[in-house]
Amino acid sequence: MNSSHTVAVVCALIPALALTVGVALANHLEPRILGLPFVLAWIGIWVLLTPGFMWIAYRSERA
Amino acid sequence: VNATIALGIIAIVVIGTMLIGLAAVRGVVMNPQEYIVGGRRIGTLLLWLLLAGEIYTTFTFLGAAGWAYGRGAPAYYILCYGTVAYIISFFLTPHVHRLARERGYLTGPDFFRDRYGSRTLGALVALLGFVMLVPYVTLQLTGLQILIQIAGFGAFNPLIAVAIGFFVVAIFTFVAGLRGAAWASIVKDALVLAGVIFAGIMLPSHFFGSPAGALDAVLRDHPGWLTIAGPTKPNGITWVVTTTILTSCGFFVWPQSMAAVYSARNEDTLRRNAVFLPFYQLMLLLVFFAGFTALEVLPGLQGPAADTAFMLVVQKYYPAWILGFVAAAGTLAALVPAAAQLLAAASIVSKNVFVEYGFTRGDAQETRATRILVLVVALLAFAFWALAKTTLVGLLLIGYNGITQLFPGVVLGVLANRPPAVAVGAGIVAGLITLIVFAYAGTGQVSGINIGLIALVANAVVLAVTAVAVRRLGQSPSTTVRARA
Repeated sequence: MNSSHTVAVVCALIPALALTVGVALANHLEPRILGLPFVLAWIGIWVLLTPGFMWIAYRSERA
Repeated sequence: VNATIALGIIAIVVIGTMLIGLAAVRGVVMNPQEYIVGGRRIGTLLLWLLLAGEIYTTFTFLGAAGWAYGRGAPAYYILCYGTVAYIISFFLTPHVHRLARERGYLTGPDFFRDRYGSRTLGALVALLGFVMLVPYVTLQLTGLQILIQIAGFGAFNPLIAVAIGFFVVAIFTFVAGLRGAAWASIVKDALVLAGVIFAGIMLPSHFFGSPAGALDAVLRDHPGWLTIAGPTKPNGITWVVTTTILTSCGFFVWPQSMAAVYSARNEDTLRRNAVFLPFYQLMLLLVFFAGFTALEVLPGLQGPAADTAFMLVVQKYYPAWILGFVAAAGTLAALVPAAAQLLAAASIVSKNVFVEYGFTRGDAQETRATRILVLVVALLAFAFWALAKTTLVGLLLIGYNGITQLFPGVVLGVLANRPPAVAVGAGIVAGLITLIVFAYAGTGQVSGINIGLIALVANAVVLAVTAVAVRRLGQSPSTTVRARA
């Protein structure tokens, strides 16, 4: 496993953990964000951030 | 009159879409390679639509709204699992694709057949995929029935309507193959997107001023509906997390998903798709808003009827032409994925059982057998639809519990040092036995843990123990497999 591959794996693990165990920690109603319950906002934000993390993973795998 | 307008719009949209799909394959000579995996020449954009087309089905359209209506926050898992699945697919699918291209795989079970050097394993995987696709196709049928019943204002016999719809899709799949389905996805996705924006933004705004207003109303009447219940509760947080893990592992091992992976032009196409597909998931947020709005506007629907909630709101409060277009979007969301699923179920049995064991010979016979099997699966799903009555999410979870048992075999199969076929097969059988035991006990979760994940763990343990035992005994079929690769 070379270092660029390690970068890709770390970039993938962050959103993957946020959307699994992270949901358990974020399971609250307050504070509401744009009217969304906190847990739903948490999930929505991480879904939006995932392509960013995976783009970094993509670039580092190609490097 | 209203029913005529709404059903007329559905008919025109469906026929128009099928014509686009057929035009795309005009003049293409259909051999198995072209029919099942689009000649392996499908580029980034069309592949995106094909993957998204198979992923965003009637389940997204009605099932997610139905769960938001009927159960509330546990529905959030749907938003998580697709995203985690794309993350897994970024690492897994390029390897699967490379092997498929080098070794000429057409079906999901081909991967097992070749990587583990066992046609018995290939046939086992084919039969498992075939069986697990039946509830998935049934899900599309149930969605179709809901849409036609509501768009027809109950005046039309849904059984006949579903039979016609399904016959149309079976014939379409029969003729057009995978590439035709990919092109039909373009129209479908555009209409579904418009339908979802309408349902998730316009609908709540109409009744509550904004989507947030609908959430406030839900919280007032159902406190706790928008957060997930405690760890040991049914469908609580443990269930949400374990179901997300289970279904994200199962996402790309469906036979139709494996075929879509093979159909990509190259590995980079798949990686780029994995990066950007999560954006598509955000549509689901809007679908949840539609479900929550329906809960406030039309409360009281129980069990599987919750799946009809959001369409009933559209029927009751909007003109027939809007109902027609929303229902047409939903109809395509049922028919197009059903086409790909029928094709996958038919091709795995045709290739990995019939051809493998010499029941059919030659390309022409194989293509013909696949086409006939398309009709057989359609009939089986139709029978299952008539007998089993459960929610759309319930149907999908039945299929996922089973199909995810293939995940260890796919992951280990891309490695250079693979376990023997007997270990992979024993793991799959152990997983299935676990599922059957829990099914007889009538339970879907143990202390909140999804039984599919328990079965997956049993699968992995049996796989590991068998692999070690085989090696200890020195029979070592694994060495012969390794020598072949």
